[in-house]
Order: sequence, then structure tokens, then C-alpha cells
Amino acid sequence: MSALADKLHSLEDIIGPASLITDTEAVASYRVEGQQPLAVALPQSPAQVAGLLRQASQDGLSVLIRGAGHHLHLGAPPTPIGLVVAMDRVRQTVEYDAENLTITAQAGASLEELQRLAGERGQMLPLDPPGGDRATLGGIAATNLAGPIRMRYGSPRDLIIGLRVALADGALIKAGGKTVKNVAGYELGKLFVGSFGTLGAICEVTVRLTPKPERRAMLVLAMNSAEVKEVTGELLRSRLEVASLGIANPAAVERMRLSLPVTIAPDVRVVFIGLMGDGAAMARQEEEIAALSGGACARLNEAQGRDAWQALREAPYPDDANAVVVRAALPISHVAEAVELVTQFEGWWSVARAGDGLVYAGPPPDTTVRTTLERLTELRKFAGQRSGAVVLEAAPLEMKRSFSVWGQVQNLDLFRALKDAYDPTGNIGCGRYLSRPQ
Amino acid sequence: MDRRVIRSLTRIVGRQNVLTKPADLLLYSYDSSTTEGRPDAVVFPESTEGVARIVKLCAEGRISFVPRGAGTNLSGGSVPLQGGVVIVLSRMNRVLEIDAENLRAVVQPGVVNLDLQNVLAPHGLQFCPDPASQKVSTVGGNVAENAGGPHCLKYGVTVNHVTGLTVVMPSGEVRSFGGKALDPPGYDLVGVLIGSEGTLGIVAEMVLRLSPLPDDAQTVLAIFDTLEAAGESVSRIIAEGMMPAALEIMDRQTIEAVEASFPSGLPLDVEAVLLIELDGLRESLDRQAARCAEICRELKAREVSVGRTPEEREKLWSARRSAFGATARISPAMLVNDATVPRTKIPEVLREIQEIERRHGLRIAKIFHAGDGNLHSNILFERGNRDDFRRAEEATAEIFRACAEAGGTITGEHGVGAEKVQFMSLLYSPEDIEAQRKLKAVFDPRGLANPDKVLPEATRAGAQ
Repeated sequence: MSALADKLHSLEDIIGPASLITDTEAVASYRVEGQQPLAVALPQSPAQVAGLLRQASQDGLSVLIRGAGHHLHLGAPPTPIGLVVAMDRVRQTVEYDAENLTITAQAGASLEELQRLAGERGQMLPLDPPGGDRATLGGIAATNLAGPIRMRYGSPRDLIIGLRVALADGALIKAGGKTVKNVAGYELGKLFVGSFGTLGAICEVTVRLTPKPERRAMLVLAMNSAEVKEVTGELLRSRLEVASLGIANPAAVERMRLSLPVTIAPDVRVVFIGLMGDGAAMARQEEEIAALSGGACARLNEAQGRDAWQALREAPYPDDANAVVVRAALPISHVAEAVELVTQFEGWWSVARAGDGLVYAGPPPDTTVRTTLERLTELRKFAGQRSGAVVLEAAPLEMKRSFSVWGQVQNLDLFRALKDAYDPTGNIGCGRYLSRPQ
Repeated sequence: MDRRVIRSLTRIVGRQNVLTKPADLLLYSYDSSTTEGRPDAVVFPESTEGVARIVKLCAEGRISFVPRGAGTNLSGGSVPLQGGVVIVLSRMNRVLEIDAENLRAVVQPGVVNLDLQNVLAPHGLQFCPDPASQKVSTVGGNVAENAGGPHCLKYGVTVNHVTGLTVVMPSGEVRSFGGKALDPPGYDLVGVLIGSEGTLGIVAEMVLRLSPLPDDAQTVLAIFDTLEAAGESVSRIIAEGMMPAALEIMDRQTIEAVEASFPSGLPLDVEAVLLIELDGLRESLDRQAARCAEICRELKAREVSVGRTPEEREKLWSARRSAFGATARISPAMLVNDATVPRTKIPEVLREIQEIERRHGLRIAKIFHAGDGNLHSNILFERGNRDDFRRAEEATAEIFRACAEAGGTITGEHGVGAEKVQFMSLLYSPEDIEAQRKLKAVFDPRGLANPDKVLPEATRAGAQ
């Protein structure tokens, strides 16, 4: 038997031969940015995940962990992939504790099924990442991706209070627990949330729930670009309880295919104000917001509103494999300015989450690689000068080779020391995050 | 301690900012817990650079160091267990910037929490974490402990409100993590450093996330004949989808202590007082407060009052605010703990605590942040009575065990410090602890930063 066959055989011993995919054609659908893995494992329990990681580390088989595969476009070009560990079957709901407002589920559980479960008791997971409800809980934890309601409820980092993680050496560890307050030991959970599967495989996640708001409403303000900063700034500092605050330029409104009851001239920016709460409070907020905007305020009807919430949530998701999507994270007072900068680029769309200081943008499909790279460089410089950072969330491979996905990262030496501590053989993650330059 | 080290410290911070006399050192040999340990020197740096030079000196001389804020720590975290240098940060007490436009403040660690709130209020802003010690405790201490307080069910804990840190690493190197913007690429070391109790480095500057003050607030106070009814009211309130800013319960011993010291007119023959604080948009509050009051009455509350104006609300809060001081007044010696359980486990754990109280012949005054399951069982004992103290310690251990078994934790907000290290194994397996030790080793390979805190000694099985 070849060395590879031996290695695969050891993996089969852990999960059973039926759970290891080695057929070239079947494996092809698990490609990441052109890299074909040698095999795909479908473990069924955290213990199996831990066993796979230990075996793969021993055998020097590099590992890429996969949830629903919705955000595999996010990351540096991968180094050769030995084994994809797909979490599809590690998907049990471990405990839904409605009274204590927590839910614990395995990594492969989809957000959709958990939302359905919580919804039956009038609760929700306050998570709305792009990529649809098919996103898995483990994927959300690994990427720390949030959506428009982050402004009100926080990011996965804030909402996840407990984890079980399989480490490269096969240890299955627990971090945090089931209580909002817990300071027993280090907050290891914070290390793993947002670590893109480079420190271990997140197997189980406990999330804080929240009561489902009675009502949702979406207001839109169409305003001159010069007024956006002031109006959004006032909303952010006000005592109103705005749940989401979006800014979109005309190209973005078109890309989101929204029909809105406002006229959109080229120098108009649309401000989307999402409200969640009870009827009495909603009415007052609508009045105050209308007054603030000088009357140019429209309330979307139910269907329009639903479409707008959905579109704003999905806005950062790339349209296809060649699409370019970039994210700038800035101090919130620079958001409107960043939207203006991007709008000056020919035909670029831009959607901002004003309360979180995040600006997403992308070029129209026919833009040349060279022009796109110039614009990305300009945006990164702009953000850098304002203590912000730019991440290239999606781009064709050749573009990622010319423009660093993560940019200049502060404290990289420390991150690498941590990576070495938790994954001494550098076996997991396949170079997609904070890796040494190839 | 080597005289040359003292001379070097003096050169860094000036003679007036170094203490070495035994009487002075004694003052820094304890905090608000029962742990004691004498430092070899105490220094008061006034700048990040000063802290960095002190730590560098310690690193070179292999001397351990312990950062200290206001010394309100309740787990022995600010007490030196191996001598060394105590670095007091109380003079680094400047608010460096209030950036209302970005909803951020940049502050030094010695800023007192309440002082910060008072500076922010005119801007219509607040820093959400407001631990009960906020009149005294520093924001640096709040960050080191990942402090909680009464408002965590709705607003979260300190880690949810800090976006950037400047840290003096145990080597003396100064690094910054995060900043005013969210999501800097890289692992979330701001999140990891918060709550690390000075064992990974010393926080020298912080970027805090600010929030607008709530539009309005209302307070409901209900008096019950059983603790269970008070707990059940909390459950029903949350089951109906309300999210109060605070839900506080005091038991009979606590009420007695309050009335003996700061009479607020509470009856003495009751078993529980429940305090509910609702905040948010004015229009929603009337209905919510009325519904909370109704729930309490349905559960046979003897008396329910609603406070709408700031004066009325303050009156209802006054007993709760004075509870800790009042308890300390009737028994200056007490063991304070902050075990936390999933909220619905409170009645079950409470029965166990009452049983523990009876078994050991102790008085335990109980105050809970009922919304987030955080129990403060203040075990009263007689100072100097060794037998009393031993029983109080045994009772503490039993309470921790009961809370861990109920799916909770041994500490919700006070930290592990020195006093709870031995109980970490109630929550974590050797492998879990080993994973935490890896983090410590990356930040502090020599083990000089606040040694013997948070993590138990490496066992032979767990050692590398």
C-alpha cells in the first residue's frame, strides 16, 4: 500500500470507510479556490473530529475544516489540502434551554433549523450573517461573521458564551459555559471565535438567545450624500433604539434589486433604518426619525421591508466566483466618507453598516483586474490612515495573489506564536489565515 | 529585595513613588478578599512608559510583578503571593479622550468607573459595565476581571464594551491590540486579555465602546414571603419576552442587615425583595412595568411599588445599594463569593445553600443578580475565630460544588485570583486547563506576571 493509502486507512478506522470520500470526482465538489483535497471526512461526533485531527497531525496530512462551505471564498489562497473535515453530520442540537435563553448545538447545525426551534418559543438567535440561514453555527463561530442587527445585539464573539473545540493533538476541550457571566479562567472562546479554523475545530457552540421583537420596521431616507454623515451620526448617538443602520449608494440599490418608494438620483444615498420593538415605541421612533431627516422619510410596507432586511443582510455576499467584495472596518465617523470614496470609483457599489463601522464594496463585473487592484490599494490606504483595516473578502485567485487578503496585520508574531502553541505542526487551516508568506 | 533593583525603580518613577518600608508594604499586602501576601516593593508609575520600564526591569531580574488598581478585588487577585513588585496604577487616572463621534473613550487604567460615568453623562453617553464597586473600582480593574454588575443580562459584561487595549507585555514590550474600529484582522486578543487578571500583561490604556444613555427607566420593587416566589417572578418576566436591565433579589439576612444599618422601611418578616429595573424607550416602559408588577402580585407579592421619577427610583434602589456595606457592618469578616448558575437553577441551588448554612451553623446573606444567575452568598464569620473561618471555607467549597453541578461556574465576575484556583478542576478537565496554560505560556513564558493566579500548578500529567 502507498503511504497515502495507509494514512487514509487510519482515518477510516476512526470514522468508518463509508464516511471517508476519496473518489476524485466526489472530492472535486469540495475544492477550495482550485485546490483539490486528497480526501473528505464526514465525522459524526466531536470525538471523531478530535480523532481525525490527531491522526492527520501525526501523519502530516493538512486539514481544512468546513461548515456549509458558504464562506470558503474568504481567506488567503490555500496551501495543498490533504483532508477536508466536513462538519455536516456533527449537527445535533445538544440543549435548547429556552428559560435561560441559551441554545447549545453542534457545529454543523444550520442557523435555519435553530432559528425555527427558537422561534417556536418566541425567541431567536440574534445572528444574521450573509450567506443565508443555511450557514452553520460552527461556520458562523469560525468566521465571526455578523449581519445588520449586530449593531443592536453584537457579533458572534459577543453572543457565543461556550465552545467545545477539538485541538490538533486530539484533545477535546471546553471553553466558557452556559452563563453570560463567567470569569473562571481565560476566555479561550474569544481566541477560537473568528480564528477561521486555524487553531482547532469548533465542535459545539452555546449562544445567547433573545426574545423575538414584536415588530420590525424599515424606514428609508433618500438624502444628499453630504448629509449622510450628520444624520447617521445623530441616529447613532440618539436614545432611539435603532437596530440596524445601513447606507447604500445607487449602484448598491440596483445590485440589491430593491424597488424603493424614493427617487434615487446619482448623488443620492439611501439610509436604511431598521427598527425592532413594540408598537408604542415604534410609532415615536418613526416620528422622531422623520423629523430628523427633514421629512424625506418613507416607511417600507411589509413586503418591501422584508426584502430590504434580506437584501442588506446578503449585500456582502459575492454574486459569483469571480466577484470582488471588499470590507473596510473603520471608526464609525469615517463610514460616510468611505462610501463617498467608493462611489467615486467607476460603478462600484457600496453598502455600509454604519453602527459597526463596516463598509462593503465591489466593482461592476466588467472592471479590469488592474483597475480593481488600484482601487483596492486606494481604499486600503484610506482605511489605514484612519486606523481602520481592509479585508478582501472575495476575489478571483489571481487577484488574491497580487493583493493581500488580510493586509498588514498588527501583532502577527504573537498570532503565529499562538498558532504554534495550539497547532505545533501547522497542520490545520491550510494557510488561509495569518499564515507565513509562501 | 536587591538594593540595586530598588535604586533602578527609584530612577524610573522617582523616590516619592516607591515604597519599601515594612509599614507601607503591609498596606499593599491585602485586597478586599481574605488573601494576604507581602510585596518587596510598591511602585506608582504615571505613564505607560513608566510601567514598561518597571516590567522590563522585573523581566531582566526574574522578579514577579502584580498590577493593582483600587484594591477592591474579591478573589486575592491583586495580592502578591511570591513577593516581588506591586505596580499600582491608580495615578494613571486620566480620561485621555472622549470621542463622542465614534462612541469611544480612551482612558488610563486608574480611572474610577463612576468618575468616568460622570464625565460621560453630559454627552448623553455611558460605559455600560457598572459593577457594584463602581464608586471605587477602576476601569483597569474592571477590564482585568471582565467585571459584570447588575446589568449584564441585557447589556453584557466588560468584554462586550472594550475595542482596544495598549498592553505592557511581561517582557516589558508595549503592544496595542484593536482600536476604535471593530474587527481588526487577527485573533481576538482584546477578548482574551480582558479578564486575564493581570497574568498576561498589564493594561496601560483602553479604548472603550460607549453607548447612549437609555431614554428612560422605571423600577419595580416587590416584597415576597418566599424566595421561590421571587425567583418564579423573574422566570415569568423573562418568559414573556421582557428583558429588564436589572433583576436583583435580596434575602432575609441581607434585608435585616440593611434595616439595622441604613433603615429604608422594608418589613423585617419577609423572605425576599425583588428589584426590577426596566430601561429603554419611554413608551414601552409603562406597559412593561405594569406587567411586571402584575406578575409579582399573581405570585402573591405582599407589596409592589413602582418608581417612575429618578427620586422614586433611587429610593427603591437605596436598600440594594447599601446591602454589601450593611452586611459588612454587622460582620466585618465575611467570605464573598460569586458563583453563577443558569438562572432557572437558582431555586435548586438556593435550597442547597440553605442546607449548607444550617449544616455549618453559619449565617449566609444572599444577594443575587437574578437575571443572570449570579449569586452572592456572603458568608459571615467572626474575625480571628479559626474554627469559624474554617467552616466558612468549607461552606464556600460546597457552594462551588453545588453551582458547578448545576451547570454553572465558580466565578461570574470576581475572578479566580488566588482563592478559587483550587476549584478550577470543578469546571475544567486537565486537558481544558492545559489549553489555557498554552495561552499563558505564549504571553508570559517566564511566569512573572501575577504568578500563582487563575490556573492551578501544572500537575505531572498536565505538564509539558
